[in-house]
Amino acid sequence: MTLSQSMFPWILLTAAFLFTLGALGVLIRRNPLVVFMCIELMLNAVNLALVGYSSYLNSEEGQVFAFMVIVVAAAEVVVGLGLLTRVFSIGRELDVDDLDEMKQ
Amino acid sequence: MNASTAALLAGLVLLFPLAGSALCGLLGPVLGRRFVNLAGTLSIGAAFAVTLVIFVQVLGAASGHQSTTATLWNWLNLGPGNLNVSVDVTIDQLSVLMLLVITGVGLLIHVYSVGYMEHDPGVARFFGYMNLFIFSMALLVLAANMVILIIGWAAVALSSYLLIGFWYERESAVLAARKAFITQVIGDVALVIAAFLIFVNLTTVPPTCPPTEVCALPAFFTQHLHTLSLPQIFAHASSLGAGSPLITLICILLAVGAFAKSAQFPLHTWLPDAMEGPTPVSALIHAATMVTAGVYLIARFHALFALAPIASGMVACVGMGTAVMAGFIALSQVDIKRVIAYSTMSQIGLMIFAVGIGAYAAGMYQFLLHAFFKALLFLAAGNVIHAVHDEQDIREMGGLDSRMRVTAWCFLVGSLALAGFLFAGMFSKENLLGFGMINGPGAPTLYIVGIVVNVLTGLYAFRLYGTTFRGEPRSEAARNAHESKAVMLWPVVILAGLSALAGWILQWPVAFGPHLIDAFLNPVFASPGGSHIAKAPGLGLGVIGFVIGLTCSLIGIAIALRIWVRHDLDPSRVLARPGFRLLPRLSFNKLYFDEIYDALLVRPTRALARGLRRVGDPVMDSWIKGVSGVATDFSSAFRTIQTGLIRDYASYMVLFVVIFTVAVMLAAGLAK
Repeated sequence: MTLSQSMFPWILLTAAFLFTLGALGVLIRRNPLVVFMCIELMLNAVNLALVGYSSYLNSEEGQVFAFMVIVVAAAEVVVGLGLLTRVFSIGRELDVDDLDEMKQ
Repeated sequence: MNASTAALLAGLVLLFPLAGSALCGLLGPVLGRRFVNLAGTLSIGAAFAVTLVIFVQVLGAASGHQSTTATLWNWLNLGPGNLNVSVDVTIDQLSVLMLLVITGVGLLIHVYSVGYMEHDPGVARFFGYMNLFIFSMALLVLAANMVILIIGWAAVALSSYLLIGFWYERESAVLAARKAFITQVIGDVALVIAAFLIFVNLTTVPPTCPPTEVCALPAFFTQHLHTLSLPQIFAHASSLGAGSPLITLICILLAVGAFAKSAQFPLHTWLPDAMEGPTPVSALIHAATMVTAGVYLIARFHALFALAPIASGMVACVGMGTAVMAGFIALSQVDIKRVIAYSTMSQIGLMIFAVGIGAYAAGMYQFLLHAFFKALLFLAAGNVIHAVHDEQDIREMGGLDSRMRVTAWCFLVGSLALAGFLFAGMFSKENLLGFGMINGPGAPTLYIVGIVVNVLTGLYAFRLYGTTFRGEPRSEAARNAHESKAVMLWPVVILAGLSALAGWILQWPVAFGPHLIDAFLNPVFASPGGSHIAKAPGLGLGVIGFVIGLTCSLIGIAIALRIWVRHDLDPSRVLARPGFRLLPRLSFNKLYFDEIYDALLVRPTRALARGLRRVGDPVMDSWIKGVSGVATDFSSAFRTIQTGLIRDYASYMVLFVVIFTVAVMLAAGLAK
């Protein structure tokens, strides 16, 4: 068993821990910027898991996927931050609990 | 006549009125009154001309049953052994005779209608319906299978409904139309059930198992004819089992259909109310043609009735019973059209009696002559009603004979023909009753009842004539009455001529011997089941019956003339005696049939409906409200989870991802 293979459970555990941390942040925090950072944290946790599997299974596919995720995350952040600046520029408070118009 | 000629001629007879109906009904309102008058009458004239061609062809052919069946087109074919319906028409002596009356008398009445409906704004609709009726009636008598027969049967009821309710602004007209239609539907249902029974039970070969039992399936399919074609039904009628309960049931159902159409007891109450329609409608539909369709039906199905003596006997009894009952009621009615309506009911009762005892030709003879004099009476009554400004109560008339000479003379001819003296009725009615002397159940019991009908007929016919035309005018309108225009007089005069002469011509030179209609029609009734035909009374018996009948008619006429014209006989003293005191009230209130039906059928049905509504509404409501309540509760519970907070939505997502993951893992674990 190689080093990376013996490390594999720890890598997965770390990824799960980071993911849970990000999810909790999304659910709990009210500042949209922090929510975004938490989403990024979740994405990175997934990336870590993908790369970990890639190394464990001796396959490049996981790493390719990780790059895809990074690209999508960057795009998503661009859209999200754009939305946030619009919300801020019309004078709304940056608070996710305040943005509940979807209820109607 | 070969099949293609028959198809062409019968198709034309059907096509002309149908085209006339479409033209009048669809284009009439646009093209105006003159177009409607022309199209509406010419279409019937053309149909009459074609009918005359058919009549000449049938008359010119060799003797015997000249039945030609032709297929116009194939309508429905479900393969061998199954239902196979094509639009078939039959031309034989019986259908030609019916067609002659339908189109001939129909033509006269259409011409009359041009004058009668002169000021009515709905004239296009009127002629559209009238032509539709002629088409339906022609379809009914030409039909060569039961499906087409039933279509015609229902279509005449429909056109009757439309025409009774023609003045739809009047509530009474709409109610009368509805009543007529509902009563007709009872007959329709009976007829349809009879058709089903025939369809399922008729067999081609002598059955190896009795037709009343259920056969094994293969035998069922090889033996059963599964036809609704009338010639085939008649040819194989004996396979239904002579005298069996099955054929008796079929014949009783057919008879119920006939009773509803011909206004016989106990389905007669619609006919007097049907007088709400315009008078030409009463003349055409409710006197001359449609109400005699029941007589035609039984005559057409004589091969079946020959095998069901019980049903035939019932028909004869009901016919004669209705004849007496209607004659009795007619004695005291005060509406001129209702009196004639009850006399129609009574005369048709006699026809039904005739076909019930097997004297088919005699029944059709009475049908032919009755069509003349009853159409005459109705059209003359229409002239009277026009002259006294839509007054129909004969108590408000009187003294019209000097004011409307032609109508009065024609009405007198019609009354004499109806009562059976000198003119039409004398021949057909005495001929018919003569058969009653030696045929039918318990002969001559019904014959004696028939003699009473003769007296009653004389009484009410001349009561009507006397109170309407003789004496002094009893109202301002009657005093100022004027004779009608030529277009409304000529049809009446022609019908009067027919009523006066037809009997003499058809029966020259002996009034009580065989008549031409008998010779013309008997081959039809002789073909299958000829043994059932009633025996004609011998010459001696015929003369005796003729003299008795004529005497009774004259007694009735004489009493009526003394009471209502000379006023030297007062019936009130006789009627004041204890035994007779009820009679006038019973007669005036039509034996309380409407009230009895109201109490027995209408009110319980209404009460049942109300009760069901009271019980049913809460039950149904609780169901429906329960279902909708569950949906409402459900949705309001789910509405609360839609908070609009991203946080909540994300939580649900996470929650369900976790749940599904756990579930998949558990399932995978269980699968191992």
